[in-house]
Amino acid sequence: MQNMTRFLIKRILWLIPVLLGVYVLVFSVLYLCPGDPATFVLGTDATQEELDAFRHEYGLDQTYIVRLVNSMKATFLDFDFGKSYITGGSVGDQLKVRLPYTLLISYIGIALAVLIGIPLGIIAATNQNTWKDSLAILVSLFATSMPSFWFALILVMYFGLKLRILPTIGVESWKGYIIPCVATAIGGAAGIARQTRSSMLEVIRQDYIVTARAKGQKEFKVIGYHGLKNALIPVITIVGSNMAALVGNSLICENIFSIPGIGAYLISGVNRRDFPVVLGCVVVLCLIFSLTMLVLDIIYAVVDPRLRSIH
Amino acid sequence: MESVHKELLKIENLVVEYTSEDNIIHAVNGIDLDILEGETVGLVGETGAGKTTIAKSILRILPDPPAKICGGKIVFQGTDILQMKEEEIRSIRGRQISMIFQDPMTALNPTITVGKQIAEAVGLHEKLTKSERKQKAIQILEKAGISRERYDDFPHQFSGGMKQRAVIAMALVCSPLLLLADEPTTALDVTIQAQVLQMMSELKKEFHTSVLMITHDLGVVAETCDKVAVIYAGEIIEFGTAEDIFDHAAHPYTLGLFGSLPDLNSENRRLKPISGMMPDPAHLPAGCKFYDRCPHASPKCRNSVPDKRKLGQSHYVRCFYSGGNV
Repeated sequence: MQNMTRFLIKRILWLIPVLLGVYVLVFSVLYLCPGDPATFVLGTDATQEELDAFRHEYGLDQTYIVRLVNSMKATFLDFDFGKSYITGGSVGDQLKVRLPYTLLISYIGIALAVLIGIPLGIIAATNQNTWKDSLAILVSLFATSMPSFWFALILVMYFGLKLRILPTIGVESWKGYIIPCVATAIGGAAGIARQTRSSMLEVIRQDYIVTARAKGQKEFKVIGYHGLKNALIPVITIVGSNMAALVGNSLICENIFSIPGIGAYLISGVNRRDFPVVLGCVVVLCLIFSLTMLVLDIIYAVVDPRLRSIH
Repeated sequence: MESVHKELLKIENLVVEYTSEDNIIHAVNGIDLDILEGETVGLVGETGAGKTTIAKSILRILPDPPAKICGGKIVFQGTDILQMKEEEIRSIRGRQISMIFQDPMTALNPTITVGKQIAEAVGLHEKLTKSERKQKAIQILEKAGISRERYDDFPHQFSGGMKQRAVIAMALVCSPLLLLADEPTTALDVTIQAQVLQMMSELKKEFHTSVLMITHDLGVVAETCDKVAVIYAGEIIEFGTAEDIFDHAAHPYTLGLFGSLPDLNSENRRLKPISGMMPDPAHLPAGCKFYDRCPHASPKCRNSVPDKRKLGQSHYVRCFYSGGNV
């Protein structure tokens, strides 16, 4: 257990350079971006004085280094993400309001992907070369190849417009979450199913599975306990890499369904050269992503005892 | 042997085939084998002769497909295992018949503690509380020479010899009537081999367990077995007491096995291996399977399969050659 605590502390400390690195990178990209925020916000007919005043107010007249240092200080020491160029409102406040929507959609999406993908993979693997296996492979191939926004639109068309049982836009009731979550989950579920299938196929040929059967264990538990515990190890990696895609998908879905999450905010920030908004959104998404990876690493160590002894 | 031993397991004319894409592999071709209570029977033969397939057939844990038990009977305590329902055979697995697998490195689940894996076997067959199960698992581990502190260790924290002892402990924890030991010492170095065999024979005495000892190591056979079945290409070609086989071997293959052992007293420094290879089990010859490699082969051997020929009370051989002409 002591090993585990040390491992955890090490992993959490690693978050610091990652976040700083991402911040510097995004800041630099935005700095180098063509297009002057002042002209963007005030319009082309603004006078020189107005432009200068705007630049001075937001510190745009200072050098790259000074701006970077000031902005990092504010973000990481005071947790102040600055003001939006457009509205003048605090970016931090907006992020706080919007974060729950994005988290909800992403995490329900991942949970759905896992809940659909793993059983599907197990069914395929334990019925290898039967129609169940072929069907599972076919469905997951279809789902991986399909862009999530397209699938979202199909769902909207069918359940929203034709059957009229689900809202097509907004998240006023829980029903509004169904289509966005399913749409974000579908690609991930397919990937997880394929990985579960292939690692399960490998695991059920192992000697310890025969040992478990020879003990007199029930087939269901041989697969679900002895098999799954080992087969899950590579699946966790896939879940991790799906995380990145899922966050991306949820951004798209937020736009399609007008959900006031971080994704919609980020895209509006990009479109209007609202740099503090972009920076704030990216840093928060990066933090969420890193923390999720941290949780996955912990799950790894719980599932695989060999890993625990290395740390 | 003064006491009359009762018959525990009787295999009759067992046939097992593996189906691959374009071939049928004849792994076991009509085996008869009896195991009496408390007796150790050695199953000797080279790799691919069908030894493990026989053991797995007894527990019905062959992977199906590709393996298929095509015929025969495996009568255990009066009931044919091959006709049992899934639940019936499951209640026998690990309780009345258990198996030690060839490779201790891979026979334990790497993600579950060794103790838990043994306690699991107890829990499947005995109605005990969690702590009683643990107690029982610890007891058998200690009998196998593993201290109770290692209960919560994972397999990767065990050495090879310890893993094999843990595997044996797991097989013996429910005191089975029959233990199928599939090359229990092959993966171990010689010093550990001796320890493991010693431990097995002690546990065997204590639980009065019959053992089917699968091995290609004649030393292990000499050390442990009451009776020996020599198996070649899925057939038992010679069967007898250990004495019959070691001192009065009749089949050219059995003789060849002994001939291929290094002899320290002999001037000749080279080993005398049996020339040639075991026939491809997908294309077995029509007559005697050993025909191609046999120094005494005759035209008769080529066309007809030799029947059992009795040489002693329990000693028989499947060979036409009897010293003189065929």
